[in-house]
Amino acid sequence: MNNQELLYHYFSNSLTPEQESVFKKLLETDAEFKAEFEFEKGLQKAIKSHETDRLKAMLNEVETKINKRHNTVFNYRNLAIAASIAILFGWFGYNTFFSTNYSSLYEDNFTEYPNTVYTITRSDDANSIEREAFVAYETKNYQTAIEKFEALSADETKDYLNFYKAQAYLGMDNIQEAKGLFQQVVAKNESFVAEATWYLALIAIKEKDKSLAVSYLEHLMANYSYNKDKAQALLKELN
Amino acid sequence: MHRVQENITVEDLKIGSELLFKRIYEDNRNHFINFAKKYHLSQEDTIDVYQDAYIIFYNNVMQGKVEEFTSSITTYLFSIGKYLIFDKMKKNKKTINPDFDLSLIREKEELEDMNLDLDQEALTTEQVLLKKHFATLGKKCQELLTLFYYRGFTIKDIIETSEYTSENVVKSAKSRCMKTLKERINSNEQ
Repeated sequence: MNNQELLYHYFSNSLTPEQESVFKKLLETDAEFKAEFEFEKGLQKAIKSHETDRLKAMLNEVETKINKRHNTVFNYRNLAIAASIAILFGWFGYNTFFSTNYSSLYEDNFTEYPNTVYTITRSDDANSIEREAFVAYETKNYQTAIEKFEALSADETKDYLNFYKAQAYLGMDNIQEAKGLFQQVVAKNESFVAEATWYLALIAIKEKDKSLAVSYLEHLMANYSYNKDKAQALLKELN
Repeated sequence: MHRVQENITVEDLKIGSELLFKRIYEDNRNHFINFAKKYHLSQEDTIDVYQDAYIIFYNNVMQGKVEEFTSSITTYLFSIGKYLIFDKMKKNKKTINPDFDLSLIREKEELEDMNLDLDQEALTTEQVLLKKHFATLGKKCQELLTLFYYRGFTIKDIIETSEYTSENVVKSAKSRCMKTLKERINSNEQ
């Protein structure tokens, strides 16, 4: 067996006891053999280190994947927690902690403003469209009422029309249109300014804008007598 | 999870399947993290230790130092991991209990009983150079030398598991690879 064969067997861990003693002797006596052995032994360590780096890189890949997976789970979990809190808040906290249930305040205080301007039963039908509009309004056919009010709007002498049109929109739960019209009523100081202010306060409550609601109510109480007591009660509820 | 491991033999691992390598790592990971909790390492350190322990275990399997599983893979990983944790704490000068050193010795002995090579020595300058030039060799040379020196394959083993057809082909291929490697190292040194 030549020296190279001995080295093969050494690195494959298959030296027989006899070969092993020859091997040891050669290391002591043959400098060239020793140098070759040292070189190959070093190469073995170098390859192992190379292999370790490769394995480590693979494991880091696995870690990255695991972390991604955890983050996804984590995010979903956070979302679930947030949702639970939101539900708890909406259901429980809302009523218990803040005791301001805006939508119930709105419902409790909202009553549709009655038709006080147009007597439907009157015999003269000079303005049949206006009549039709109020008939529709009183029978809660708000869409028809709005269309009729729209047709009448050109007639600017009737400054209560915006107010009733706004009422019709409120009846249809179209808050934005109603709000715009009430604001016009207030701005132009048309009929029903106090009433419009009251409804604007209610809309602010429905929109959970507490400070705006408070300022409308305070303005109402300071300047008008309409719904003064109700406004007072509402303010108490809000504060 | 455990069913997979019970069926895994050293021979399965030795085939060198990346899939199995990753699978066993993942299967034991949470168990190891929980086990390491009592040593109060950071999560990062724990993962580091686990990876090192796993690679040491794997290297030992691949180098034929684990002939068959006398313990479960988990036991191997925990024993190596425990040793590495103590070693890390020693380096960090952090002791957790008075019998720290005793535990360390015990762990090391246990590992030696398992015939495991912990191989924590840093590479010498020459070895670093060898590693650098080994990485520049062609894929076939790298594979062949890895079979020889890392896996400890005999020429017969190599013929069985690779495309080399005869002993002479293996021998001449190997000596060509060694020649190239030596040439590259010599040219680097000059």
